[in-house]
Amino acid sequence: MSAAITSPARLIEPEHAVARRPSFRSRALHSPTFLAGAILTTTIVALALLAPVIGRYSPVAQDLMHTLSGPSGAHWLGTDELGRDIWSRLLYAGRTDLQVGVLAVLFPFSFGVFIGTVCGYFGGRVDSIVMRIVDVVLAFPFYVLIIALVFVVGVGTHGIYIAFGLTDWVVYARTTRSGTMVARSLDWVAAAEGGGLSRTRVLWRHILPNTITQAIVYAMSDIVLVILAVVTLGYLGLGIQPPAPDWGSMISDGQNFIQTNQWLAAIPGLAVVLTGIGLSLLGDGLADILRPE
Amino acid sequence: MSKALIEVDDLSVTFRSEHGRSLRAVDDVTLQVAEGEFLGLVGESGCGKTTIAKCIAGRVAPSAGTVRFDGRELGARRTTEDRRAIQMVFQDPYSSLNPRMTVRHVLSELLTVHRLVPRVDIEARCGELMTLVGLPRGALDGLPSQFSGGQRQRIAIARALTVEPRVIIADEPVSALDVSVQATILQLFEQLRSRLGLTVVFISHNLAVVRHLSDRVAVMYLGRIVEEGSREQVFRDPRHPYTAALLASAPRLHQIELVRPMVRGEPPSPIDVPPGCSFHPRCPRSEEICAHDSPRLERIGACAEHLAACHFRDETSPEAVDQP
Amino acid sequence: MTPILEVEGLVVEMRRHRTVFRAVDGVSFALERGGALAIVGESGCGKSLTLRAIMGLLPNGGRLAAGRVIIDGVTLDTGARGRGHGHGQHRRMSIVFQDPLSALNPVATVGNQIAEAPRHVLGLGRSASRARAVELLRLVGIPDPERRYHAYPHELSGGTRQRVMIAIALSSDPSVLLCDEPTTALDVTIQTQILALLAHLRVERSLSLVFVTHDLGVVSQVAERLAVMYTGRLVETGPTASLLAAPRHPYTSGLLAAALDVDTPEREPLAIPGSLPDPLRLTNGCAFQPRCQFATPECTTTDVRLELVGPDHQAACLHSDVLSAAQAVGHHV
Repeated sequence: MSAAITSPARLIEPEHAVARRPSFRSRALHSPTFLAGAILTTTIVALALLAPVIGRYSPVAQDLMHTLSGPSGAHWLGTDELGRDIWSRLLYAGRTDLQVGVLAVLFPFSFGVFIGTVCGYFGGRVDSIVMRIVDVVLAFPFYVLIIALVFVVGVGTHGIYIAFGLTDWVVYARTTRSGTMVARSLDWVAAAEGGGLSRTRVLWRHILPNTITQAIVYAMSDIVLVILAVVTLGYLGLGIQPPAPDWGSMISDGQNFIQTNQWLAAIPGLAVVLTGIGLSLLGDGLADILRPE
Repeated sequence: MSKALIEVDDLSVTFRSEHGRSLRAVDDVTLQVAEGEFLGLVGESGCGKTTIAKCIAGRVAPSAGTVRFDGRELGARRTTEDRRAIQMVFQDPYSSLNPRMTVRHVLSELLTVHRLVPRVDIEARCGELMTLVGLPRGALDGLPSQFSGGQRQRIAIARALTVEPRVIIADEPVSALDVSVQATILQLFEQLRSRLGLTVVFISHNLAVVRHLSDRVAVMYLGRIVEEGSREQVFRDPRHPYTAALLASAPRLHQIELVRPMVRGEPPSPIDVPPGCSFHPRCPRSEEICAHDSPRLERIGACAEHLAACHFRDETSPEAVDQP
Repeated sequence: MTPILEVEGLVVEMRRHRTVFRAVDGVSFALERGGALAIVGESGCGKSLTLRAIMGLLPNGGRLAAGRVIIDGVTLDTGARGRGHGHGQHRRMSIVFQDPLSALNPVATVGNQIAEAPRHVLGLGRSASRARAVELLRLVGIPDPERRYHAYPHELSGGTRQRVMIAIALSSDPSVLLCDEPTTALDVTIQTQILALLAHLRVERSLSLVFVTHDLGVVSQVAERLAVMYTGRLVETGPTASLLAAPRHPYTSGLLAAALDVDTPEREPLAIPGSLPDPLRLTNGCAFQPRCQFATPECTTTDVRLELVGPDHQAACLHSDVLSAAQAVGHHV
């Protein structure tokens, strides 16, 4: 053996050879999209969580002596037509809407990712059947379904959970399926299987961590969609019932006063918009950060 | 001659194309690899060498014929021991490692699942594997994206070695690497062979690499073996015109004159294999008989180990070399 | 005779993540009329970017920071992005890429793609450019050219597609053909055919050639002059035969020692110790120094340039004499 290769250690110079990948923290801090999204979303979530603490009144407490008052020391954002403190209502409404948003996405996300992974990996009859079901579901108009459901199960959030549960999983299934199909053709999956690892293990410990990031990013914008759906339903009077506040019904109620007290509708509207922006930015930022080089 | 560790008998692999036509990727191939032997499988794209490798490794099921390992026939479902015994190293260093798993995770998972070492010794074993392939221990913490192509190949080799295989099938392991890095990986293969006594099936289109490392060589064209023999037999005394053409076309540092192309045209589509000898439309030596009579892989003269599938196998090629 | 192509002080900056680095750092060379120059280097050395910069085809994130390209005595107006060669200037040079499948338009027939330049750049009429395309298909050795005119790229084999690429490159009647690893993706028997075609075309069309490759085994057949690149700089240039027989830069010598030759299987390839430096962290002095056995402290501080070390042979090394002496004594370096 010639001199150049006797000690293997000489072949690699660690300082130059192994490029340091910036840590998650470093990448996170350098992504303006992620930072903006994270800050905005955390702020909104924090405010919503702290509603009982920083909301100064009960959201349903009426004060008929002081209706439609503008911002003041007593009421930071003024009061609505029944004298209820808008600030408190805004916070509690946020609580409700965000909660519904996250919960409604949980099942579609889990189920969709699961079924997508299985279909993408095993293919065959299961895959064909599931994909046809996906096509049917996608063809269905969402709001028609949800209004029908509301009439069946009654108003309130149940309808939303069920409607999303039935329809929203397909997107996750599709993206995860494609990702899995791509991964399945890659050498490192072949190596994992060839190494004697069981298919279950390969699927859940090897492939899934790679395919799930896309689903997570989509989930962020999905939460926004749910909130919009809740808001829309609230606006239509089919969502969360009064007197419990939600942004949609606040906007709907505020509609009557649009000429005189615009802020009644505008403020919750702004809250919806900001939440949407925050979650979208967060989703985009995560997409940037989670992408392996 | 040591016993055959891998025996491939009358192996054929046929794929269906979209239009219902069949594509014979591997056509009736019989091959043995002795224990501890380094077999070079040579051929250009579409010759079927990768498909054979996948068959041996169990990733592709044969349409006909058998693959035997250590005397036992390997069926569609392989035992974990059989799967461990034959490991593959792939060509593309950039898709052969899970981008989200650290090196330590990859190696220790295999060690744990197969219970190869007691839990306390896992870390030490991972370190040993790194040293074996010439990487620093610090590499265990890294993710694939932090490594260069050559380093990734070392990691892939380490992964293959983790399960203590008896056979490594390397599918063009250095083709995607720079020249200076190729040298290090080739040295690694040599060391592994001498130190660990591994049996290696080395697939490559690069004749220089194959000649450097192999004990025996098999040349493939359109799914068939056209020539087979010891390294010196095939390289010094090629008896199939395709082998001679490959040799003549191999890049050489000090080749002053332009190499005259010895082969006409391009390989036909594997769906449309020519009748008779599949090489005859491109062959400089072809004659009438070649168009309708497909030559079998047969020994040359009295030599049992040197085989060629050519009607004119007994003629020496102008490419043959005289000096020792 | 003025060289047909002169490149002076080419500097290409690339932006990666948030940093900017010099991928090509002051490359200069001249190509004689009818001559051929091979540029050799490993991945990331900047050889492909050099060609693209000359053609004005830098990718996004790339910028021509300095340098001039002079073709047949006319300086090209390169523009800041290395884009913006006028039509007239375009005509003198063409480029052939490595992967024909991605370089050809999948939804246009090959004939139309070849006819495009004659039609829109040279201003020929429709039937005239068609006839020209058929003629070019014939010239590059594609049988049955009238029928093949209507083929789509995916219907053709790798070697044929590469011939089509060459035909497209020739369709604008260039004086210089830039080739970026044109045979790397091809089988070795097809490679011989393509190299023979290029040699034939050089004679037939009086073409001058710049051939970029990582494969040292191919250069002797292709070009009589050779330039070796390392991390964006030329480290050695000169007649191919001289460089291969007696290299004067340790990197060239290292590459030769690491290369395997099919005729001498018993020779052990010697790896070049160390690894390619991080392009973002290049320092002053010789970039090869950390891996070089002849390195002295001087090598890190001096800005090493190409110097004449033999007839028409230049090397950027302070110790090329030491290298020479070691070779003379027979030490395998």
